[in-house]
Amino acid sequence: MTAGILLLTIFLPWAGALFVWLVGNDRPRLQHSLAVGFSVAGGVAGLALLALGSPDEMVVLSIGGAFGNFSFRPDGLGVFLATIATVIGSLAVIFSVDYMRHEAQLGRYYALVLFFIGSMSGLVLTGNLFLMFAFWEMTALCSYALISFYNDDPKAVAGGIKALVMTQLGGIGLLIGAILSYSYLGTVEINVLLDKAELLPSNVLGIMAFGFLIAAAAKSAQFPFQTWLPDAMEAPTPVSALIHAATMVNAGVYLLARFYPAFAGVPGWQEAVMVVGMLSALLAGLMALVATDLKRVLAYSTVSQLGYMVYAVGAGGVFASQFHLFSHAIFKALLFLGAGAVIHSAGTRDMREMGGLGKQMPFVRTVFVIGALALAGIPVLNGFWSKELVLEAGLQGGATWMFGVMLFTAGLTALYTFRCVWMVFWGEPHHPAHLHDAGPAMKTALAPLAFGTLFSWLLAGSFSHLLEKTLPYHDIHAVSLVEILEEVIFAPATWIALGVVALGVLTWVFRDSLRLWQEVFAGIGQTARQSFGFEWLNQAVVRTTIQVAEDLRNLHTGVLNWNVLAIALTLLVVVVILALGA
Amino acid sequence: MVDLFIGAGILFCAYKAMQENRLLVSALWLALTSALVSWMMYRVGAAEVAVVELSVGAGLVTVLFVFAINIAGDESLTRQSLVPRPLAWFAVVFSMGLLVWMIMPALQSERMRAVLEQTGVLAGLFRSVLWNDRRVDTLMQVVLFFAGALAVLGLIGEPNKSREERE
Amino acid sequence: MFYLPNIVLVVVLALLGIGIYCILISRNLIKIVVGLQIAVKGAFLALVLAGKLASQIDVGQSIALTVIVADTIVAVVALALAVQIRRKFGTLDVHALMSLRR
Repeated sequence: MTAGILLLTIFLPWAGALFVWLVGNDRPRLQHSLAVGFSVAGGVAGLALLALGSPDEMVVLSIGGAFGNFSFRPDGLGVFLATIATVIGSLAVIFSVDYMRHEAQLGRYYALVLFFIGSMSGLVLTGNLFLMFAFWEMTALCSYALISFYNDDPKAVAGGIKALVMTQLGGIGLLIGAILSYSYLGTVEINVLLDKAELLPSNVLGIMAFGFLIAAAAKSAQFPFQTWLPDAMEAPTPVSALIHAATMVNAGVYLLARFYPAFAGVPGWQEAVMVVGMLSALLAGLMALVATDLKRVLAYSTVSQLGYMVYAVGAGGVFASQFHLFSHAIFKALLFLGAGAVIHSAGTRDMREMGGLGKQMPFVRTVFVIGALALAGIPVLNGFWSKELVLEAGLQGGATWMFGVMLFTAGLTALYTFRCVWMVFWGEPHHPAHLHDAGPAMKTALAPLAFGTLFSWLLAGSFSHLLEKTLPYHDIHAVSLVEILEEVIFAPATWIALGVVALGVLTWVFRDSLRLWQEVFAGIGQTARQSFGFEWLNQAVVRTTIQVAEDLRNLHTGVLNWNVLAIALTLLVVVVILALGA
Repeated sequence: MVDLFIGAGILFCAYKAMQENRLLVSALWLALTSALVSWMMYRVGAAEVAVVELSVGAGLVTVLFVFAINIAGDESLTRQSLVPRPLAWFAVVFSMGLLVWMIMPALQSERMRAVLEQTGVLAGLFRSVLWNDRRVDTLMQVVLFFAGALAVLGLIGEPNKSREERE
Repeated sequence: MFYLPNIVLVVVLALLGIGIYCILISRNLIKIVVGLQIAVKGAFLALVLAGKLASQIDVGQSIALTVIVADTIVAVVALALAVQIRRKFGTLDVHALMSLRR
């Protein structure tokens, strides 16, 4: 029963991908309905799985002795991410019905989106490191192909390649970790690794820990890889909402949280994780403050919020980070889809050309403001509770100065959020034509997300209970909702944070009287616009990769004889190695 | 004694098939090799498969060769090989030497023999390397991963215009 | 010294060597298929011999039969490809296929 539903969350979207692709682009209506049907069915399976969380392996596929079994395990960490992937995935697909209505090549679009949803479920549910790596790469592939969906646009193609190279770089870290686990423990079972982590030599464990950190940082667009995410905004907006806000970029945080018990003892690892999270949160927040492209602002804020989660994992607050991940997935998907509706009718992504759209698009304005308030951390929306939990975990588990930086970033978040909302929905109208509000499918997708943003924090208690029940290695203590609320409300950190957030809001409200300060910060803004030089760094990585690829091309001789010789010699080398080692 | 002659005949025919530059003649030498191999298999005691080899290897495949050569036409190419001959010699001799070393327990060093006898694997290193634990498979998979990664890297690389023009 | 398994073993090794050498140095596509055939003959001879030595000659025979069938299919496809290449490129020279490189 559980096994069947677990496999359904993976294979329903995959089957949908196959069918949508087979239908062909001549029948777009059928493609729309098939994609919606399969993704919603997947979402229902995901919701059903949520109730069936368990720490046991539910599906075990034997594939011979060498690599262990392919196992799937619906434990708390995995199951709720699978639910997020399938449910938000289905909402994004519903949204696409309006957003992609008259686009060409719908088959490719829907097939990749559905394939992504299935792969993401697999990534978080599997209990085998190699299988995890395979799913990890599948999500990277879908992300690349969808970023470059408009493949006649050179910017989209470049953004896709950049995202691909960056996440592959991280994938190497994951692969190294998996291989080390295999060679020292003889297994790639995640739970065995968590169980026996102390038995590993400390230097090996260290390499694995930092390899996984690199993998997570690359996948979640954390410092110093943070620049691929803004460039990924060339993708169609529902894709940005699904892959680059709600699910795939969370895989890095998931990875860190999953392996936290194994690596927490590695000297310097927790500090490194916290510093990575803190720098990402701060730098991305500053960049969001000066960006003028609506989607880029949201992308920077995604990097910043992911920084919060990474920071929380580093501080030992696995529950806080996962709870923030949960809230963030909902409100950021809401923001992105709302932005998609705005972009769809305004025809531009530049916020300077928007303004005053609130009156013409009242529905979108309402839901966008709900999402923005959650992002800014205003009570009583879900973002408020989870961000306070993150900050509290940071105060308990980390240095005070880092806590200070994170507080400052919270204020910064409120500031850029209000700036963004103001520039889009209020202020001077720059758009003469009358704009239509969101279509029915868009509204269908936005309304549940807005509802979730308002009320998802009520699930905190049962969520922590699920985590405690199903994660034997993480040492999480279940707390009821009331306890969490009390903890948050009576902690002084909350009030400080709220004060900082209010300060951020006030800074925006009284921005005209603060001209002097703006002059002071203009220099920082200028640097932020150039991504603090990391744009250059990441470009260099991509350039080097392409250059290496070009040089390696000389190995492709294209002559049959040489190829056969190479194959024969490789076989010889392998056999000699084995014979000498026997 | 007959076996010795058959073996020598097989090797001679195979050598001629390799050395002959005219395709049709080469194919005929191959057919002769095949027939002699099937005779040898009969001598070993595998009568059924010897018949199949005689009909398929010496018959059908030869017909196919002749057919293909007729369509494609014979073509005298330069004997200049693309791979340097010493390198090819080295690869062949080295791999055959390795094979002999692995098959024949008598040729293995004393240490190896002790290890093998302890583990009860007397059939030789060949078996332990290729069959036990499937280690060759595993390592070859690793190699294939790398080959695949290199191939994909080749796809990413942008065509270098100057080189294209030079060729 | 001159008893049957030893002779067959030497023949097997020599056939494999000749076949691989032929593949390595030939420029003609059809010649490469010839080399492949020689090497595979060595391979299934070895299978039959192994079956004989393990007194499981039937197992050896069935695997050898499978190899023969697979090898014939390979020859068919390879020759068909060679013919097509000859039609398209006008030559059987392996070097001509370098244009497949990107």
